[in-house]
Amino acid sequence: MTSTDVAPIAEPSRGGFFGADLRFLGLTALGLAIFPFALHLIGGYGGLATQILIVSIATIGFNVLLGYAGILSYGQAMFYGGGGYLAAILLIHAMPNHPNLWLAVLGATLMTTVLAIVVGAVSVRLYGIYFALLTLAFAQMVFFIVEQARDWTGGDDGLQSFPTPLLPIGPWNVDLQTPLPSLALGPFGNLGDLKLWYVFAAVVLVLVLWFVRSLTRSQFGEVLDAIRENEERSVFVGFNAAAYRLAAFAISGALTGFSGALKALYDGTVSVDSVGIERSGSFVIYAVVGGVQTLFGPLVGTAIIMYLENVLSGVISYWQLVEGVIFVLAVVFLPNGIVGTILKRRRARTMLVNAVRVK
Amino acid sequence: MEPILRTTKLGKSFGHFAANADIDFAVQPGELRAVIGPNGAGKTTFFNLIAGTIPATSGTITFNGRDITRIGGSHRVHLGIAKAFQTANLYPDQTVLQNCRLAALAHLQGAFSFQVFRRSTRHARIDEIARRSLERLDLHGVAELRCGDLSHGDKKRLDIAIALATEPVILLLDEPVAGMSRDEARKTETLVRKLASEMTVLIIEHDMDLIMGISDSITVLHQGRVLATGTPAEIRENAAVQEAYLGGHTAEELHA
Repeated sequence: MTSTDVAPIAEPSRGGFFGADLRFLGLTALGLAIFPFALHLIGGYGGLATQILIVSIATIGFNVLLGYAGILSYGQAMFYGGGGYLAAILLIHAMPNHPNLWLAVLGATLMTTVLAIVVGAVSVRLYGIYFALLTLAFAQMVFFIVEQARDWTGGDDGLQSFPTPLLPIGPWNVDLQTPLPSLALGPFGNLGDLKLWYVFAAVVLVLVLWFVRSLTRSQFGEVLDAIRENEERSVFVGFNAAAYRLAAFAISGALTGFSGALKALYDGTVSVDSVGIERSGSFVIYAVVGGVQTLFGPLVGTAIIMYLENVLSGVISYWQLVEGVIFVLAVVFLPNGIVGTILKRRRARTMLVNAVRVK
Repeated sequence: MEPILRTTKLGKSFGHFAANADIDFAVQPGELRAVIGPNGAGKTTFFNLIAGTIPATSGTITFNGRDITRIGGSHRVHLGIAKAFQTANLYPDQTVLQNCRLAALAHLQGAFSFQVFRRSTRHARIDEIARRSLERLDLHGVAELRCGDLSHGDKKRLDIAIALATEPVILLLDEPVAGMSRDEARKTETLVRKLASEMTVLIIEHDMDLIMGISDSITVLHQGRVLATGTPAEIRENAAVQEAYLGGHTAEELHA
């Protein structure tokens, strides 16, 4: 991992909110508006596009940890699955008559954030493999609890049915299952294939990307970079490295729990797989394939692997072997991930162009 | 005058090996104190105990009248204890200025600050302190260079500049001229002398010319214990020091 892929932090701010930020928000929103139709062109479907957007939020949360704080958590499923179960449990037990999506999702997110702070307080003083193993151990404990607490979680069956939550916006109670108006778009599918869920997920994802983008350029991100690059020096200029890592872990736990909660409500089910070790591993794969330390890498990695998984698993039965091969190839040939490699090439070309211009 | 830094019966053992033992040590505000001793005398261990890099196994450290024995390293920086490393310890991929900016940022914003939306560039003071630190070490000309590309001497001076950007009360310099050419060493000496007029400085150094020339007083460590403390002239004449430090060589050789 090199730090050359990080947005240069010392550079002066350009444009402020109404300049660079507005352009960023606009372009990202445009990209997400095109995405489901491009996906349809290559055999995807509207539901897959929605799922990719939701799950990528967890990968983005994981990247805050691996890419920016420089620590590998192998227990992200405890937040992802935890968020899903907590949102479902909140709907079933706390608001059976007035299922409110905001309350379920934000309540679950808050609780996974607290879980992350507790787990992080124990773990962030450890490094490398010890940190990874400790987070894995915590995740396995959560898995065990979920499996055993049948009355609340349904045990191995998971939770199959819970109230469909509505999204109150102002005076309206929006049902996100509502399809968009039917509009045939030829090879790009039909606008009506998408539900309001997609619009909601896209808006949420844009906000998450904007948040992480600000974070990496903020003073907090600057210190995270410094601690990742040289922890000893950072401590002896006066930074509390463990506190910064704990904060990154909490942010990651919040984003991952948020993603898991949304996914559970979108699916209408939560399964015990969502807190399993394979789920934890999947975020590692998504992020590494897409490119850690990049803003869009986690989204791209999640999209590519989930797309292949959905398309290939219908055709071949050994999809997981293929996934493993893709991961190995990415690590060996694209150590900066797909987005990281593109950014690096572009930067190299810009430098070359500038060098030629100087001559 | 009340000493700014005092250690009482300070000790550090690694297993059965006592790297430091029973160190009673006091520095007056504004003093430039050298800590010398043969290799393995425990000088760097002593510095690490004061900076909080490692915890003491016995005794106490008092700074500004406050017991800091159990306080961690990052916290001590905020109390005013800064350390420059024996081997320049930098952020190699960042610019020279950014190295100092990070230290100034820590100094102004504290050990932890959850500023996830605001950029540090909004605090003009950070840049101001960082640039002034660079100027004091004569590094302002290379402020925009990537610090991994600096010469050895500039790297060592940058390490001191980083420590300065935390605006310390007491500055610990661990072999500031080690590995420098004669010219670089003299230049650094002049800069250190200037710093010493503004703050308390503790210095470990093997360059006897430098030590004898700039120190107000010298503490000699030998086998982890204080052997002698005194002015350069007193230390030069001290028979026990000559015996331990030089293995019987003459004072002229120590001076040379």
